[in-house]
Amino acid sequence: MNLTLPRFFWSEYRKRRKRAALITFALFWGTLSILLLMAFGQGMSTQARVAFQGLGETLIMVNGGQTSLPFEGLPKGRTIRLYPEDVDYLRERIPEILRIVPESDNFWQVSANGKEINRTVHGTTAGFAVMRTQVPQLGGRFLNAEDDRKGRKVAFIGWKVAADLFGTNGAVGRTIVINRVPFTVVGVLQKKIQDSMYNGPDAEHIYLPFLAFRQIDNQRYLDRIHIQPREASQSPLIEDRVKTLLGRKRRFDPADRYATSFWNTIEDFKQGQAIFKGIEVFLGIMGALTLLIGAVGVTNLMYAAAKERTKEIGIKLALGARRRTIVGQFLLETLFVFAKGTFWGLLLAFDIVHLVRLAPINYDSFGIEAYLLRPDFSLRTFLVYMAVLGTLCFLSGIFPALRASRANPIESLRHE
Amino acid sequence: MIELKDVSKIYRTGSQSLEALRRISLLIGRGEFVSVMGPSGSGKSTLMNIVGCLDTPTAGDYVLDGEMVAGLTFDELAAVRNRKIGFVFQNFNLLPYASAWENVELPMLFDGKNARRRRERVAELLNAVGLYDWREHRPTELSGGQQQRVALARALANDPPILLADEPTGNLDSKSGEEIMAILGELWKGGRTIVMVTHDDRIALHSERVIRLFDGQVVA
Repeated sequence: MNLTLPRFFWSEYRKRRKRAALITFALFWGTLSILLLMAFGQGMSTQARVAFQGLGETLIMVNGGQTSLPFEGLPKGRTIRLYPEDVDYLRERIPEILRIVPESDNFWQVSANGKEINRTVHGTTAGFAVMRTQVPQLGGRFLNAEDDRKGRKVAFIGWKVAADLFGTNGAVGRTIVINRVPFTVVGVLQKKIQDSMYNGPDAEHIYLPFLAFRQIDNQRYLDRIHIQPREASQSPLIEDRVKTLLGRKRRFDPADRYATSFWNTIEDFKQGQAIFKGIEVFLGIMGALTLLIGAVGVTNLMYAAAKERTKEIGIKLALGARRRTIVGQFLLETLFVFAKGTFWGLLLAFDIVHLVRLAPINYDSFGIEAYLLRPDFSLRTFLVYMAVLGTLCFLSGIFPALRASRANPIESLRHE
Repeated sequence: MIELKDVSKIYRTGSQSLEALRRISLLIGRGEFVSVMGPSGSGKSTLMNIVGCLDTPTAGDYVLDGEMVAGLTFDELAAVRNRKIGFVFQNFNLLPYASAWENVELPMLFDGKNARRRRERVAELLNAVGLYDWREHRPTELSGGQQQRVALARALANDPPILLADEPTGNLDSKSGEEIMAILGELWKGGRTIVMVTHDDRIALHSERVIRLFDGQVVA
């Protein structure tokens, strides 16, 4: 096609753009609604995952329990506890384990800066940080291997503990007294959203090196053991091996469901992911249906435009326009309208998403806003949207265009 | 130049059929100025549509400038209309959104002529019809006579050898009508073949020859 024709069509389109305003608005509104729908859906899904990671994504937590089956002449109802040596015992016998750490906790009085509070204090080792998403704020750190080995009197504290004791002043390097023993704060937990927890959110907890914890605690047994498998898929196997090995050591039936208990976040995460996927698919279907309705609307408007321009098409045909010229004009006009509508829709959707993301999340009272205020505008979503909408627009433009091009010039000229 | 041999045109709607042209044969030579006259329903418009390649005959042969028209495709007919025939309609048929300049330029755009040639030709034609100063005006901003002069300029854009005028003065006052006929007369003298449909005997006097139609047949 000669390059001058599109320029002429552009000039014709500009003169008629007020008439095309309805179609442009429909595309603008459709783009805005669908991109926002997808952005909020994606954001909710992402935030749900982030919230889940607040506890730990690939984690098996093992707790002791009470036997419910008699075993090898021993009665049921025996208490089964976990002990520090069980950590090495399991690590040495289950090669599928990537990380394994002990955890004990107690509820103690904590004082600093002239203030006294009561908080859950945990004793654990360095590996806990990765497994339980304990990311320190800038200028601090989590407990390390040296702290474990030497039993240093250091503490990693939740941001709410830091706020309660030190306000907005820095907590790192300050001393806190736990159960009458002074500890130096080496790090403060970075704010995070957390939808799963035990004994309350991590923000309100204090973590000490395991050895140091045991020096101020009388309890000899562990509250739980955290295990991270090398592969997420190995978690059922690891659970079975833990039951078998502990059953052999503590003499209980491995099939006894109450002798030990497991909290497997991998399985929880799988279920969560299925829900997120379901939400995304649902929103995708909603989006696709909305697009389809929009496309039918655009087709209708394009048909109406073609009918309204019957005489004009007749004149052009009489003057020697070829069919492809008429089709080309209609398709170009669809493209102009499509580009304009989607551009403004995209721009506004982008601005809204950007503005909403600026809104602060209240990490202290984790609620619905943590999911809603972080819409996610992914390039993939946009490209898929553009591809689908582009195809629908092409289809909604091509049929009216073909019909217009097949018009009988004589009848078109007579049209009023 | 224009040769019709036993041309018939039958319109069919359901079981009904209407024979608009009945075995018409006629010859219009190069440079002739012919008027086509006849009462309503006599087949004038059908004849003009076939001669203008807007329609094809049901039967018979149509040879235009040595080329058989019957076998041409839709786009080939479009090319013939674009290069060989200029149309002047009773109701002008200008594009309402386009300026006088753009209306005149349109057939050249369809022919793929370059911008410089188009610019020169549009200016030449609008000057010739006395509307260069009105080039930016839309049809609604022009009088009937001015609109028809724009339509005439447009018909001549690709310098076609044949001009088909369907009641060119039908919607004009007598003064504007005379101006249009004067331009047609000059074009004829310049060597163009002109076929004009008219009801008006006085207008037909401008032509060399009158073809009279009645009930789809040539009667004189």
